Amino acid sequence: MAKFTSMAYKSADEMIFGTAKKPVKYGRDFEVGGGMVYPEIVNHPRPGSEETKKSLMREYEKMTNDSMERAVTLGFPGLQIELEHVWQMTKNPDWGGDIAGQTVRQQEEWYQKYGIKSAVRATIADNRKPEQENIRDCKSLELALATFTSSARNGADNLSMESVGGKEISDYSIVRQDIRGVLFGIGVLGSRDLEFLWKEVVDIANKYGATPGGETNCAQANVAMFMAGGMLDKSVPHTFAAVTRAIGAARTLTTYEMGAKGPTKDCAYEDPIIKAITGIPIATEGKTCACAHADLQGNLIAAVCDLWSNEAVEYHDMFGGTTAAVFTEILGFDVALMNSAIALGKAKDLQEMMIYSDMYRDAHSFVVAPAQAYEIGKAIVANNTDYYSRARAGAICAAKLILGDPKMLLSKFETEVLQKTLRELESFPDNEGDFINQCAAIYKKAVPGFNLANYGL
Amino acid sequence: MAITDVFVRYDLKKELAEKKMAAGKDALLQKVMDAVVDGDEDNIVAYVNEAMAVHEPMVVIREGLVKAMDEVSRLWNEGVYYLPQTIISSDAMLAGLNECEKKMGHAMEKKGVVITHTAEGDIHDLGQQIVNALLRANGFEVVDLGKDVPVDDVISAVKQYKPAMLTGTALMTTTMTAFNKIASRLRRDGVDLPFVCGGGAVSLEYVTSFDLGIWGKEAQQAPPMADDAVTGVSWAKMRDKYNS
Repeated sequence: MAKFTSMAYKSADEMIFGTAKKPVKYGRDFEVGGGMVYPEIVNHPRPGSEETKKSLMREYEKMTNDSMERAVTLGFPGLQIELEHVWQMTKNPDWGGDIAGQTVRQQEEWYQKYGIKSAVRATIADNRKPEQENIRDCKSLELALATFTSSARNGADNLSMESVGGKEISDYSIVRQDIRGVLFGIGVLGSRDLEFLWKEVVDIANKYGATPGGETNCAQANVAMFMAGGMLDKSVPHTFAAVTRAIGAARTLTTYEMGAKGPTKDCAYEDPIIKAITGIPIATEGKTCACAHADLQGNLIAAVCDLWSNEAVEYHDMFGGTTAAVFTEILGFDVALMNSAIALGKAKDLQEMMIYSDMYRDAHSFVVAPAQAYEIGKAIVANNTDYYSRARAGAICAAKLILGDPKMLLSKFETEVLQKTLRELESFPDNEGDFINQCAAIYKKAVPGFNLANYGL
Repeated sequence: MAITDVFVRYDLKKELAEKKMAAGKDALLQKVMDAVVDGDEDNIVAYVNEAMAVHEPMVVIREGLVKAMDEVSRLWNEGVYYLPQTIISSDAMLAGLNECEKKMGHAMEKKGVVITHTAEGDIHDLGQQIVNALLRANGFEVVDLGKDVPVDDVISAVKQYKPAMLTGTALMTTTMTAFNKIASRLRRDGVDLPFVCGGGAVSLEYVTSFDLGIWGKEAQQAPPMADDAVTGVSWAKMRDKYNS
């Protein structure tokens, strides 16, 4: 496995939405990162529709049709559709596979009739339970791999996942503001699990001619970010969540070292760091994912995107049509603005506006802004000797960047949390083996069911 | 307009009161209280043992551990503490309680039993873990069924343990549908108890659409809800109280 030891871009300023160093072509004449941003719509079935395969397929058929029709009606050049699996689609590999096949066939019909470019991403659910089973040899893994296969065989263009390795430790640690556990659960265990998982996913993708797409630290760094919530929430300090994001970037990078090509997953808020390091195209979500969750970087997170997503919207009627149609429309006009800026030579102007809309709104926004993302990426690749060292370096870099910018307003409490986090990070052993031994002793006692063997340790 | 006027940091306009400590009865109990309030799990056992050299275990529990958790609750409610401070205080409190129970030779009588679970198909159980920690720190016995729990297993556990309250957590709308099935089965079998459901996309509208259902907006509601449940407040009255 070749590790990234240098940056794909010479500077943060070189990064822009719509263009990636390593564009990806697939689907129906669809190219991501080749000079244009495309919308990626994620439709979610209504509760109850998942009761039978037939009703779920019908639900997806309607949602896909509504999205494709609205895209053609409004003249959007292209559309990617993500099938983000409800658990029934992964626990029943034929369900996930047949829905992928159906979606591809529908897109093909629209392509043949109107020439609209399109692609399908299948995101398989990770239902493994690390504290309850052997996650390298269990039924949930077997079913997930079978569903990757059925999806790829039936024509899914992009295979993606939101995996959960190390979540038993990160969940325990995030709610205790324990940066050691976060670094261990995400930076070490999460990375080791990705190395194991993505070998399998890449093999399946290659066998069936699909593109191994991307990952997200949704199960860990997003937990910290969502718990941090808005400015009035008191669940997890925002500065702590922001440092967690840098660790998540080091972890998610493993996916692309294992051979994934992108575009990455939309909910991976670490993606600007990933793009800076790898040069692969990224999907992001911001203001138009308000249907799924509030977002403190609603505009900023579009600054270097190649696909622009809504995260997930449940299928319902609205005055303007179904949610599948309405959110396709919103995404389509969002990217039309970006693409107009590119065409008019104003992309950097628009990007600057996106960045300054949100960069100082929150510490989390700050660390995923291109300039900071680039610096964190540099810290990660400069210390890419092992998973622990690079994740720790990214985290220390993020903490110092936040503390070092006087325009980043922080409460006294948030500042103290960040200073304490930085002190702890700097106090940890330099050697990965020593850190793992230290953590193994602590978390085997603290987290029932935690099993090092799940991570090849 | 300056670029910093694009947004307003309302939170910074509400910088919080400094932490105030409730006073313990003596220096030994004060050390126990401080350890709980500061989440000092490393030293709580030693401090509890020092206090038990002078006081009965029940005094240490009542005047040290419980009083400290009341202080932690106040700090959280006033916005001085965030969730992590509350959780590590709970960890310390439970470690201290365990030591007291060892000396007493029996477990302290719990306020009542609560069963918690995360819905079938859903592996996102962090919300449930927080609920478990808060309930335990507030004196309840928690039967933790874990995550991805089939409906049949929840029904069986309710019949076996006869809890005062049942909770369910789900992230996705397509997994929360298990809650309605559980409630219907319990009603059909003549079981009547508050079934508090929350998490992610779980909405008030959905949970109050079936009998027994009470919507839990936040994890910290769990202890007061359980207090109501063990004192016999009906699910309907609890729904009025928390969901109206």
